[in-house]
Amino acid sequence: MPRAKARKEEPAEAGSDIVMDEAPTSHQPESRDDMSVDQDEDDEVEAEDDEVEEEEEVQRVRLLPGSTPTAASFEFLNESHTLGNALRYIIMKNPDVEFCAYAIPHPSEAKMNVRIQTFEGTTAIQALEKGLRDLQDLCDVVSDKFIEAREKFAATASS
Amino acid sequence: MDYDPMVMDDAEALGPVVKISQADSVRVKYELSNSDIAFANSLRRVMLAEIPTIAIDLVEIEENSSVLADEFIAHRLGLIPLNAEGVENLLYARECDCDGCCEHCSVKLMLHAKCTGDENMHVFARDLVPVGERVNQVLGTPVFSDAEGLGPLILKLRPGQEVKLECIAKKGIAKEHAKWAPSAAIGFEYDPHNKLRHIDLWYETDAKAEWPPSEYASWEEPPQEGEPFDYDAVPNRFYFNVESAGSLPPDTIVSEGIKVLQQKLAGLIHELAEGEGDGMNGDYNGPRSPEYGTGADGFGGYTTPFGNGGNQSSWGGAGGTTPYGTTPYGAGQSNWS
Repeated sequence: MPRAKARKEEPAEAGSDIVMDEAPTSHQPESRDDMSVDQDEDDEVEAEDDEVEEEEEVQRVRLLPGSTPTAASFEFLNESHTLGNALRYIIMKNPDVEFCAYAIPHPSEAKMNVRIQTFEGTTAIQALEKGLRDLQDLCDVVSDKFIEAREKFAATASS
Repeated sequence: MDYDPMVMDDAEALGPVVKISQADSVRVKYELSNSDIAFANSLRRVMLAEIPTIAIDLVEIEENSSVLADEFIAHRLGLIPLNAEGVENLLYARECDCDGCCEHCSVKLMLHAKCTGDENMHVFARDLVPVGERVNQVLGTPVFSDAEGLGPLILKLRPGQEVKLECIAKKGIAKEHAKWAPSAAIGFEYDPHNKLRHIDLWYETDAKAEWPPSEYASWEEPPQEGEPFDYDAVPNRFYFNVESAGSLPPDTIVSEGIKVLQQKLAGLIHELAEGEGDGMNGDYNGPRSPEYGTGADGFGGYTTPFGNGGNQSSWGGAGGTTPYGTTPYGAGQSNWS
């Protein structure tokens, strides 16, 4: 039985050194090269300067491993329930979306994950972008309504 | 939104509604209806923690012969509300090109008080004077909401004692430190009759008699006697009570909150649009599982990281079999029979 062989090999593999890809995504090393610490001291000042510039372009959204066009997980940096729950709600309103959920995997990491699965004909990225725009539109409406209500209140209060 | 209104609840198709019930210089009470709790809570959270304001962040003490420790005074100074009008024209100190701080990213305030009389002297926020160039003439000035216009009491001095210090006020948000919070408190309430049973009220004999009715109880229909529980109901009227700490007027806190939420979204949309060009998101060149696209089962993606061709258990079974089927005893077959 070939299965028996596979069975034998795998515990050994899993028990030995763990391949980094198997770790949860939040524990995988950043793709950025962290080896600069070992460089010569003369280079260090320059390296630090480079890093400062790099930090300005930190990518705040990334696609998590294992994503396909219609089923994707996104990781947002420095986002919280403030965006997560509202975004989840508005994406779920999209009839082309089959599934959407968000999670904050660990409370002391400023990361927020969103999972989107769509029906054929659209992609998860399009659904995400539409969700963001729809939430913007909702903000516009509430903002307008608030200003309107404020003016109405001011008019009745002064009269 | 351009969704078919037919698929939505009737009420929601009308769009959100805002009704203001009370407004003055310190608070605004309003009702947001035909909206979802997710959005209402986002608005609350953003008003509480993410609106930029200005607060004292650095204190250089030249002279302090008062009874209070330097750091104690510095902490009290940080909590003094400063006028944040026009703070959008101020840069974050970390984003400014200057070395340390300059007039584009900070406001300097001086405090110099010496008790020369023979009575104890009170030092108020009024004694904190902004100096130097400023983005505008009100930004960074302490807020006085008391009748005498003195502002909060910072410290007291005995005869002969003196404090002389220089403060640097910087822009920030309350997520970093609560001193940057524009609001004192934000009341957030829904379902005053607890029809949705989100609250489990504690009581001795009768919850109705022991708990005072909410201020908004008369705004909503009380539950009928013997009314069955509606398990499909969702909250859709939210009562906000935004109370300003003085740095921004209450209506500005609401509009700024929405603005911050918008900026958050715009930033992400921009990044998504940008990513599509260089293939980071659009072409799936980013990180992905090793088996994506080459999956033996043609399913593509979504394989386990164990590299056995996706959609199988990591136990090496060909699907459907339990791991027990491959024990050395049974050679892949159950030996129970």
